Amino acid sequence: MALPFSYHWRNLLVRKTTTGLNILVVAAVVGVFCWLIGFAGALHSSLATASDSRKLIVLKSGATSESNSAIRTDEYNKLNQIAEVERLPGSGAPLISPEMIVQVQLPRVRDQGTTRANVGVRGVTETALQVHRNIKVLGRSFAPGAQEVIAGVSAAKQFGGLEIGETIHLGYASDRPYRIVGYFSAAGGPLESEIWGYLPSLMNAYNRAMYSSASMLLQPGAAAEPVITQINGPAIQLKAQTEAQYWSEQAKNIRIYLNITYVLVAIMSLAAIFSIANTMFSSVAGRTREIAMLRTIGFSGVQILTGFLLEAVMLSLLGAVMGCLGCAAWLATVGRTKDMFGATTFTSLAFEIQLTPMIILAALGCVALVGAVGALFPAWRAARVQVVTALREA
Amino acid sequence: MTITYVLMQNLRRNRLRTALTAIAFALPMAVFVSAISFVAMFVRIAQANEKELRLGVHHRTTLTNYLPDGLRRKIEGLDPQRTRLSAVCGMRWFGGRVPETPNALTSLAADADTFPIVYSELDLTPEDTALWQRDKRAAIVGMGPAETYHWKVGQRVVLESTVPPYLSLDFNIIKISDNEMRTNFFYFRRDYLEDSLKEVNADGARCNIFWIKCQSAEAMRSLQEEIDRMTANTPDETKTEDENAFVANFTQALGDIPGLMQVMAAVVVFIIALVAGNTMMMSFRERTRELAVFKAIGFQAPRVFSIIMAESVMLATIGSLLGVVPTATFLLFFPITMFRFGPISRIEVSPLAVVVSLTIALLVGLLAGVWPAYQAMRLRTVDALRRVA
Amino acid sequence: MGAAAIELTDVRKVYRKNRIEIPVLEGLDLRIESGTFVVLMGPSGSGKSTLLHLIGGLDQPTSGRVRVGDYHLEEMTERELTTWRSRHVGFIFQMYHLVPVLTAAQNVELPLLLFRMSAAERRERVRTALSVVGLEDRMDHRPNQLSGGQEQRVAIARAIVTDPEVILADEPTGDLDAQTSEGILNLLNLLNTDFGKTILMVTHDPKAAAHGQRTLHLDKGVLERDTMHAPRAAAAASVN
Repeated sequence: MALPFSYHWRNLLVRKTTTGLNILVVAAVVGVFCWLIGFAGALHSSLATASDSRKLIVLKSGATSESNSAIRTDEYNKLNQIAEVERLPGSGAPLISPEMIVQVQLPRVRDQGTTRANVGVRGVTETALQVHRNIKVLGRSFAPGAQEVIAGVSAAKQFGGLEIGETIHLGYASDRPYRIVGYFSAAGGPLESEIWGYLPSLMNAYNRAMYSSASMLLQPGAAAEPVITQINGPAIQLKAQTEAQYWSEQAKNIRIYLNITYVLVAIMSLAAIFSIANTMFSSVAGRTREIAMLRTIGFSGVQILTGFLLEAVMLSLLGAVMGCLGCAAWLATVGRTKDMFGATTFTSLAFEIQLTPMIILAALGCVALVGAVGALFPAWRAARVQVVTALREA
Repeated sequence: MTITYVLMQNLRRNRLRTALTAIAFALPMAVFVSAISFVAMFVRIAQANEKELRLGVHHRTTLTNYLPDGLRRKIEGLDPQRTRLSAVCGMRWFGGRVPETPNALTSLAADADTFPIVYSELDLTPEDTALWQRDKRAAIVGMGPAETYHWKVGQRVVLESTVPPYLSLDFNIIKISDNEMRTNFFYFRRDYLEDSLKEVNADGARCNIFWIKCQSAEAMRSLQEEIDRMTANTPDETKTEDENAFVANFTQALGDIPGLMQVMAAVVVFIIALVAGNTMMMSFRERTRELAVFKAIGFQAPRVFSIIMAESVMLATIGSLLGVVPTATFLLFFPITMFRFGPISRIEVSPLAVVVSLTIALLVGLLAGVWPAYQAMRLRTVDALRRVA
Repeated sequence: MGAAAIELTDVRKVYRKNRIEIPVLEGLDLRIESGTFVVLMGPSGSGKSTLLHLIGGLDQPTSGRVRVGDYHLEEMTERELTTWRSRHVGFIFQMYHLVPVLTAAQNVELPLLLFRMSAAERRERVRTALSVVGLEDRMDHRPNQLSGGQEQRVAIARAIVTDPEVILADEPTGDLDAQTSEGILNLLNLLNTDFGKTILMVTHDPKAAAHGQRTLHLDKGVLERDTMHAPRAAAAASVN
């Protein structure tokens, strides 16, 4: 026999001020928790989704990212000797995509253009769509001959001037108008934050003779390691990484955010624990006689203990729900868009903070723990109430 | 015995509660003082930058697009009498890293002649300047990298560039600047970089940005417009902005930590207000009768009000000191230096942040006390005493 | 017996609860001579406590006049009443209502904080008050280190430390055993006889009532019976 649920529920209601204040404390902690985890998680997942194990990214040796890499055409051509590269059915052309990365400053939508972000502009050839297999062009792609570009969906959402039909000025002298003719998605990966155009056209516009990088697709089942060794070796002398390696390196600087996040959330959760403990101690003290009565009529110490834990967990979960709602409201009104540089790229990765079910579950789980830990000692005290003494006390 | 003594005794009445509240108050307060220190540091840097009256001129497209180094003469030509600008310093990104380390330093090649004028806040002594002018490999380094790599003045260091053509250059450190506004920089002479680039037949002398030291805020505004007008519709169209606007573009791209910290600070204040308010409510409720007795034996309502208020403020003060003092002490002895955000190389608690934190705590204490204190003041003695039986 | 220390004229007290008027005292007239030990008796809800509160300036009558000494309480503001209470009445409650975190001496000293008085003088007064109740040797004990009777003695010391003319006691022995009660009542008798205090005590206990010189029986807000009797001879003899 356990105490009825409504008993605990009513006890919370009776002490409505202190219950309400504690719910708000938990809600504030959970709101921040959701936001921070959402922030770190969104950035992390946008970098992590970009991992095609068959794809290699080749840079100049010494370069740390595509934006500061430069590959001469003769160096690039050496990549053709790699046997493991997937070939295009029919023509048999190797699936190696030469690419050039430049940047354009575009206004951030979220602050009405007060500040501007560096948005990556990638010159690609037709091969790119075969190499980057997760790219889906939405609408029309750029025509090779024309001054046209397509925008990644994240970039289009977060940076100004990327509506279809709008024109952005690119080129070394910023004097070449390129029209946005379509969008593309990249399964949520970092490429979605970029603008893509036709490589020869952009190289011409930027007066460049060198590529920034090359991406290649390996044959199914081909091991990446020997290919990387071959590319890094004396014959080619470039630097290859799997796509996962490349982006996980770019994700390195989010560690400090994760660390800050964990520290902040931990400190505030501790504060919530103490606050709940405080309230529960007071509740136990105020109900000593009631507890003694329950013990007298036959409830066990364990049942009393469980009851108090249940009350605290209920209170915390209420707070958590409010916190999640608060966070969702914040994201909906203040905005969910963010952008951030990778560790060594000079281009913004745009991402959106989402309150995923995972985050909500994590928040509820942590908060239930917070409530239980906070109530543990008060509940322990309640369970050990000495019946006779308590009943005698005024 | 005094009223203060009675107050202190009240806090000792329920030691457990006082302790729990103080801790629940102190923890967010520790977050608050750190967050505010961080924000305060940014505000201070922004103010310092504003005072320096510097304009940055970079390519309209992005900072990575080069501007010809001849643009400096053209900018100087806008003010031949030097009534508005003091000097123009061209800078080129080197992106050098210490070999075998992953991250590039904020290393910039700067025009040797004008650098000491444009960055006057680095406090170069005449000897420093002379050394800088004489030694082509001279480098001036901020505290950040100097501490990370244990560099000393007079040391020779090698940096390899992370941008094409990936030059590797060696430098003589002639000065380690302790200017807290410029902690994460590595400056060296642009003629050294350009000459080295020439040796490998890389393209000619160019700059990523020109920093102009202006003489007044009005001069800044007029120059800003004139420069952008001068370059409009040329291949080298520029975007000219003051230093704070320039920095703001990056702050956003670096996760907008100052913004995050501001929100955190606000949330923390909310939490501590709730925690303190909760305790004061509980404490008031348990002492209703006692307060009624106070009133019965002749304590005036305002006095009862201030007793509760004082208790609340005292609790908040204890809680905040418990949060602020250890945090400040800890960061004083173990500054978090691995943390690099823009110009900030370490987090340490500033006196301003301590003052702000304690003030906020005081306000929170007052706020938390108001409602219970008001209720205590309005307490109907007769009703409260009757509730006894 | 001197002039009337306390005089109530046609006092009505009506409480309002959810728009329903509950009359507690209905046109009460009462004179209490200075230096009398008056006992108030009556069933629950008869208005004894209300009467005590009105005389103590804790509450105001709905109509009628309440005079205590030279003060017309019904004309005074809340603020004036509070100041008046600190100087002219001492309260004793059933549950003692001592501040648990203060020592006996400090509890007694509490009302003196409202006076301009040097620390030395306060200390002297506290010592005197505690010696009257026979607890000088318990000065530094906290309430939880005292027995119920001792706690009530401390409360009495607190009530007399400001040397008020009137002492109001609301069931001072309601929570004590017979023997301890006797001690407390004897103490009140002592205050009455040796210090000339006017005492008004609410009680349910006929034995306690026997310590007074006059017993007022209240019922349904009306003074039903008013008995005068001589104080017990034994009263002043023993304090402990």
